[in-house]
Amino acid sequence: MAQRNAAESVGDQELDALMARLAEGDRSVFDEVFRRLWPPMLRLCISLVKHEADGADAAQLAMVKVLERAADYDRVRPALPWAMAIAAWECRSLNRWRQRRHEAPVDPAERMEGVGGEQELVSRDLVRAAVASLGELSVLDRETLLSTFWDECSPSSGATLRKRRERAVGRLRSTFRRLYGIGD
Amino acid sequence: MESVTNDLERTRRRARFRYEWVRARRALVGFLPALGLVAAACSFSDRPLRALGFGLALFAVGATVLWYGRDVRRAVLPGLVAGVVPLVLVLGARHVGHHCDSETCTSLCLAACVIGGALAGLAVGASKTGRKAGASFWIVASSVAVLTGAMACARLGIAGLGGLLVGYGAGLLPSLIRRMLSKAESTG
Repeated sequence: MAQRNAAESVGDQELDALMARLAEGDRSVFDEVFRRLWPPMLRLCISLVKHEADGADAAQLAMVKVLERAADYDRVRPALPWAMAIAAWECRSLNRWRQRRHEAPVDPAERMEGVGGEQELVSRDLVRAAVASLGELSVLDRETLLSTFWDECSPSSGATLRKRRERAVGRLRSTFRRLYGIGD
Repeated sequence: MESVTNDLERTRRRARFRYEWVRARRALVGFLPALGLVAAACSFSDRPLRALGFGLALFAVGATVLWYGRDVRRAVLPGLVAGVVPLVLVLGARHVGHHCDSETCTSLCLAACVIGGALAGLAVGASKTGRKAGASFWIVASSVAVLTGAMACARLGIAGLGGLLVGYGAGLLPSLIRRMLSKAESTG
């Protein structure tokens, strides 16, 4: 662990020196700086953006920003945190842009279609959950509820049916709540 | 995998382009005040086209060196400051009881070129010695200083430019000799 930390420290110092040379105009170290900065920058961007492809895009943009600002690099400061700060800012901008894009509809028709589709998915899930809850009930409760649904006449008289139906609905509700935690 | 490599190579090329572009832009902006000097030289000279020619050459050299960077970029400012000495002397000589507007009446202006060149050489030599810089520093600082002075001395033609160069060489001589002696001492 200590050896690893020492190696990382030496690597960071080398990067500082390389960045200082690049800031002075030494083009011979450009590729080396790029090679050393890319892996940590890509890791940071993917972790911040939480999406591999978008993270890679953000890392590419950040890399361009860091290297175009190489002349601004202050040789007293460590290079890696400086570059990472630029990358983090780039990721933050990308996240904000994505948030805005998701909130503001590009095309209202498209947005409606998207919302409709989402609602349909939610409804389908609820129906599936209700059917599963119905399956948990007794045969008598199931028949009572189904006959009420289809408005079928049952051999039971009105008052008996009403009581049975109330009990069946109560049990369905409690089963639904037990299985999915919703239904109040 | 190949696509990732291509993306990375494209990013590297783009980053390199942006790096050079930002350096070039900064160099141009950084050397912009020199254009003020060129404008002043053109407006005070009776041969503005010659002054403009040397001024543009000065701007190109200065901006290129600033864009290139490294140690030589530190030679631009001392060269420019040193070159202002002959520029001001020659442009001033026109207005100090000696109107330099004919080919035969150039004695004071020519002297101003030679003396100004010598002072510029001394200044660049001192600056170079002070900074313990290499030959590239000397070459860049000399080019900038001579081009700056030439904006004024060019109005006298070859004689003016020759006088500036002779004076500059003479001014630089002491520091060159000192440098050669110290080099001989260190090797011997």
